[in-house]
Amino acid sequence: MKIKTTFVGMASFLVMLLAWPLMPTMAQEVPAHAITNVTIHMADGATLENADIVWRNGVIEQIGVNESIPFDAFIIDGGDSLHVYPGLIDGMATWGSPETPRDLPRLENPGKPPYDRAGAQPQRIPEHYLNEDKAFEAAMKAGFTLVALGLDGQMLPGHVQPFNVSAPKLTQAHVFANPLALQGSFETAPGGWGSGAYPSTQMGVMAYFRQLMYDATALQEHMMYFEKHSEMTQPEQNDVLEALFPLVNKEYPLYFEVDSKEEIERLFRLQDEFGFDVVLVSAKEASALSNELKARNIAVLASLDVADMPDWLEKEKKEAKKGDEEGSESDEQGDSKDADDSEDAETEELTEEELMFRSKQKEAWVKQINNVSALLDAGIPTGFTSAGLSPKELQQKVNLITENSILTKNDIVKLMTVHNSNILGISNRVGTIKEGSSAHLILTDGPLFEKGTKIHIQVSQGVINDFMED
Amino acid sequence: MKNTITTLLILAVFSIGTIAQEKGSVLIQNATLMTITDGIIENGDVLIVDGVITAIGTDLSAPSGVSVVDGTGKYVMPGIIDAHSHLNTVSTNEARNPVTAEVTMEESINPNSVSIYRALAGGVTSIHLMHGSANVIGGQGETLKLRYGVTQDEMRFDGAKRTIKFALGENPTRVHGQGNGIQPRTRMGVEQIIRSHFDEAIDYRIKREAYLAAKEAYEGDKRGRTAPPVPVAKNLRYDVLNDIIDGEILVHCHSYRADEILMLMRVFNDYGIRNYTFQHANEAFKVAPEIAKNGAYTSVFADWWAYKFEVYYSTAYNATILNENGVTNSINSDSNELIRHLNHEAAKTVRYGETSEADALKMITINPAKQLGIDEMVGSLEIGKQGDVAIWSGHPLSIYSKVEHTYVDGKKYFDLYMDPVDMRIAVDSEDSYTEAGFNTFIQGREEDSCMSDVFELIQQ
Repeated sequence: MKIKTTFVGMASFLVMLLAWPLMPTMAQEVPAHAITNVTIHMADGATLENADIVWRNGVIEQIGVNESIPFDAFIIDGGDSLHVYPGLIDGMATWGSPETPRDLPRLENPGKPPYDRAGAQPQRIPEHYLNEDKAFEAAMKAGFTLVALGLDGQMLPGHVQPFNVSAPKLTQAHVFANPLALQGSFETAPGGWGSGAYPSTQMGVMAYFRQLMYDATALQEHMMYFEKHSEMTQPEQNDVLEALFPLVNKEYPLYFEVDSKEEIERLFRLQDEFGFDVVLVSAKEASALSNELKARNIAVLASLDVADMPDWLEKEKKEAKKGDEEGSESDEQGDSKDADDSEDAETEELTEEELMFRSKQKEAWVKQINNVSALLDAGIPTGFTSAGLSPKELQQKVNLITENSILTKNDIVKLMTVHNSNILGISNRVGTIKEGSSAHLILTDGPLFEKGTKIHIQVSQGVINDFMED
Repeated sequence: MKNTITTLLILAVFSIGTIAQEKGSVLIQNATLMTITDGIIENGDVLIVDGVITAIGTDLSAPSGVSVVDGTGKYVMPGIIDAHSHLNTVSTNEARNPVTAEVTMEESINPNSVSIYRALAGGVTSIHLMHGSANVIGGQGETLKLRYGVTQDEMRFDGAKRTIKFALGENPTRVHGQGNGIQPRTRMGVEQIIRSHFDEAIDYRIKREAYLAAKEAYEGDKRGRTAPPVPVAKNLRYDVLNDIIDGEILVHCHSYRADEILMLMRVFNDYGIRNYTFQHANEAFKVAPEIAKNGAYTSVFADWWAYKFEVYYSTAYNATILNENGVTNSINSDSNELIRHLNHEAAKTVRYGETSEADALKMITINPAKQLGIDEMVGSLEIGKQGDVAIWSGHPLSIYSKVEHTYVDGKKYFDLYMDPVDMRIAVDSEDSYTEAGFNTFIQGREEDSCMSDVFELIQQ
């Protein structure tokens, strides 16, 4: 026994020797990092002034004022004026996804397309498909440290998988966790008119989806039978249907991209039939169904890409403002009474019909801008997706929303951090700044989303990206 | 400023549809009642309470709280029913397979289409929202009540029979045969598509039932001596086809030529399918006795033809001949423009074929109701039926008459005297006014609305 132990000991020593060059990547040897003397913004909106934050090996070890910084720590001095926020999380994006193929060949029988040509590719997992994409770097610069990635596609594009946004090109090494959901939409089969296939309509997508679920149910049962009865006919290998087993078994939520009220109602029908959990993605009219969402315990990852203010309304507002400035000091923000003068200046003859149109359009727009605040009011777990916006566009949309709804910029931060991490089911590791959490942080020189605020450093699971170097 | 106030006033007065499926009560007094099933009652009253006709007669008094409408000089008739419409579809044709029985218009309803309101203005209260005619066996239809302003689900006509669209002739052969080079390329192929799919469905049912029985035996066998079956997945398409064979779904078949009408009756006789309706059926007059003998129905245009080769042999006497031969015939619109004056279309049968006024009115009320399996609930003024009625300024078959009020479930959805310039419900926040297309809604009759979504496909 003794000899054996010694041998094992020797062997381990040898292994250690061989592995010496790799050692720095191993847990204990990684030096700590610290950002000191900053304002830390906690998830609940509270701030910690003149605080320090220390992480090692991707995990936050210390937060507080006058912390004793480990001797081995690389220190970034916040110099009293910088802010640390939890890293932004994009609730759902398709950065790095292969483009949906164009110029598809014409099918011999469009009524019986292969799965991918019907738009069903639920077996795809983002970590195996990621391409280079400028969006990753842009996202890092915009303060995102984590993203739930899906793939571009149609009815069932694949899985949703969270990634650390820590490099301009993401690979398997940046996987934050295993896939946590399937993606879905009412998108019809690809190929357009020339090379399209069944299903080519939304009602077709619904029918096709149902049939996939029935087929998956049967295959799963067959596989279970076969496990016990190897003498029976062997079940077919079918990775598409097998990928749907978690949905059939209600083990996975379906992240479904949908906007209109009517389409959300149609999704409810599918949910009623199959009983899986749903997270709405984009969901621009979701607040019209708040009660139903609440009853169904459905969370929403709302698109930040809300519609811009209708041109005529923007013009009207500008003129009202001008009127305010020109006229006597009016207390309230410019309403139409104050705008009378400027209206006269540029008399726009509107028919009664157009006036009604405008009134309805304004109502629709206001409703969309207030979608998220209404969902929050109704107690629906709601987060945000950047919906493919560039950092500049993102800032514009944040301004639009905060200027025209009750949401503040702090609310947006919350929505894009702790809310998103809750919805994604990863709040034990990200979304808030606390000891034991994964180090997903951003260091800014002012309040986030405020004009002029720059992001200096982005930290994704401990990996630092410094944007002030160049 | 003045305009804004007017707009606000109108909005305040006429805010529609915030309360779903609301049922109303109303007493219409002293009008000429076109009962459809019980002749004409002069100076009659109709009382609707909570959406149901509770009394028809004279000198009725309104229960407390029920509003009274003076019908002096007016005509009251049941709401018009359009047995063939694509009024407010999201998409009309799932045109990528010759058989798509599994899709349903129930999942393709746009409840916000302003065309619903326009149809109400024509006295229409129910429509049969149909799949298009690209496929031999198209999607299932959905009978709707035109409750403008409610959700898609609340538009559905509760208790209506399930229906499905079939299509014969040029459309399916053009889309699938010529378009994709698959069956059916000919009328013979169309027949074979129907037969082979019914046969497959029957075969599927046998296998599925055998599987379910074996599964039950396997799961019930605690000693584990029974072998498990190979599962047979539920098949949505075949389930629907079996429901057709079982008579649970009424077939509405797009057809023109007499020979194909006879063909389908032969096929349906082979499978024991009854209670079906030939839609369009321009040559039905040639085989009217055969149609009557089979108990089939027809739903035709008054005088619309020559928009493609198979629709040349037509006559304005079609409806009259069918009617004279004892075929239950309806006049339909298949058009968002025509639906606004189906009364004129019915009147044409009087003008051309000297059909009686009473029968002409049946063709847009009780007859389509029968074809949709809703005649127990609507289609005539009868006690116990639903309060779907329209008040007309004069005789409904007169070119000069207008609809003044339209009620669905006793609730007023159209009022000629309170008719705002813009009745859209849903305005997109990104639409421009000029592009919203509101003012260009009708530029005449569509060439072939049953084929919407597929013309591009054919042109490829």
